[in-house]
Amino acid sequence: MAYELPIPRRGIHTRPFWDGAKEGKLMLPRCIDCNRVHWYPRHICPTCHSTNLEWIEGSGEGRIYTFAVQHMVFGPWSEHAPYVTAYIDLLEGDRMLTVLRGVDPEKPEAIGIGAQVRVEFEQANDDTFIPYWRVVGA
Amino acid sequence: MPGQLYKSAAIVGAAEANQIGFLEEPATALQLHIEAIKNLSDQTGIPIAKIDGVFSTGWSTELCEHLGITPKYIDTTAVGGCSFEMHVHHAAAAIYSGIIDIALVSHGENGHSARKIGSGGGNYGRGAGNASPSHEMTMAYGLGGAPSNYAHAMVRHMHRFGTKREDYAHVAKVTRDWATLNPRAAMYSKEKHPFGGPITVEQVEESRLIAWPLTILHCCMVADHGGAIFVVSPKIAARLSTKPVWIAGAGESMSHGNMMEMGDFTKTSADKSAEAAYTMAGLGPADMELAEIYDSFTITAAMTAEMLGLAKPGEGHLLWKDGHAAPGGRLPINTNGGGLSFNHSGMYGMPLLIEAYRQLSGTAEDGVNGDKGKQTNARTCVVNGTGGSLSTTGTLVLISDDD
Repeated sequence: MAYELPIPRRGIHTRPFWDGAKEGKLMLPRCIDCNRVHWYPRHICPTCHSTNLEWIEGSGEGRIYTFAVQHMVFGPWSEHAPYVTAYIDLLEGDRMLTVLRGVDPEKPEAIGIGAQVRVEFEQANDDTFIPYWRVVGA
Repeated sequence: MPGQLYKSAAIVGAAEANQIGFLEEPATALQLHIEAIKNLSDQTGIPIAKIDGVFSTGWSTELCEHLGITPKYIDTTAVGGCSFEMHVHHAAAAIYSGIIDIALVSHGENGHSARKIGSGGGNYGRGAGNASPSHEMTMAYGLGGAPSNYAHAMVRHMHRFGTKREDYAHVAKVTRDWATLNPRAAMYSKEKHPFGGPITVEQVEESRLIAWPLTILHCCMVADHGGAIFVVSPKIAARLSTKPVWIAGAGESMSHGNMMEMGDFTKTSADKSAEAAYTMAGLGPADMELAEIYDSFTITAAMTAEMLGLAKPGEGHLLWKDGHAAPGGRLPINTNGGGLSFNHSGMYGMPLLIEAYRQLSGTAEDGVNGDKGKQTNARTCVVNGTGGSLSTTGTLVLISDDD
């Protein structure tokens, strides 16, 4: 089935991320000087302001920081409502937005803040695989 | 004779992006900004972390967020090519008045590369553009308007403090009570709007879900509004027939642009902007007799009250639940009916100012249509606007003329 949701317009500095996603790897930017991972990708380390940056392969593991259930939605996502959006604290540090897999949007009380999640990738087109996160533990 | 700003500030460095001109390898506007800023920091030895004022034509919060800094003076004057000269003027005024010491004036514009790759963020007159990295990494995930994002903060706030959604519903109920005293409020009465007139906490709770846990009555409206104010010197004020309301304190801050970059979802930067405003005023939260707080959502008002020091962390909602914020209460809040029930057109900062002026100048439209009116006896007011996705805050402390 064709992917009919919004597909990110890829920037010119994020190729390693999308190349990694195609191979099922969650690539993350890290500062070589202070060793911290940051998300989203930047031209400069937002912690120590070094421009000495590299890409590393992340573990693909994280925990739910917070979430919400989207009911009133316009555009392509409306056919999927209600669905659960969440901010994920990455094991490596910093935070990512996602739509959660493996949860019941009708039972938000059952979704645990702090619950373990793992990344998976959904193919949007030939080149673009989009990371989504699935609840895998308490 | 030189004016007050004469030699009040100096330009101490100037740098450019690594490559400029007709670049073969296209660059984004954001990249050009960041390269120039990094080079300027290297040239002058001023660490980027020490920048406390940011002046640019774009969405300056995006620049700050990318740099990981939270300045206390943010200017995005964008009126074309002369904007940067104006930025220097505004920076000099801010430095002269002691608000900041180090102002960054930054430009990044990929007029050539944009034909190939778009602006890439940080561009003139726009927010985080289609190709800016924060947008690239969030656009896939079905977030829409403000409620879709703010709901995440409400869930985290409830989780941290053990509160229930119903606690915040009191904000909507009490704010509606104020609206029923204001004939200009959109939700003044059932005659004015089918959903107008008084509401109960149960109605707030049982109304339609927008983004769980936010029901529609936890959300502000989106209507039409226009407003304007004059700010003048004491000399001019003395000549006018209208009553002055004095600006005793002012402060501003930010924590992020994109909500993904918000560190603690239970706090906004209003604690910092309020601290600056209170310090300038020589007053504190206990001195405030009135508060006008941007209530885009019930959670915004409750959380902001905590940041302004009007309530302890996790107890903001009690101001409404216990009736303190209500008509006749000890600390009236959002006396026009707020963004929840008066009017909210998208950027609610102006209605906050208008209501604060009216209250402190004794012109708060009382006695219309036989209502007992919303005019309070307050002589001091804290005003707080929130922008973006709980991203930016501006706080004012205003005092009446007879204080």
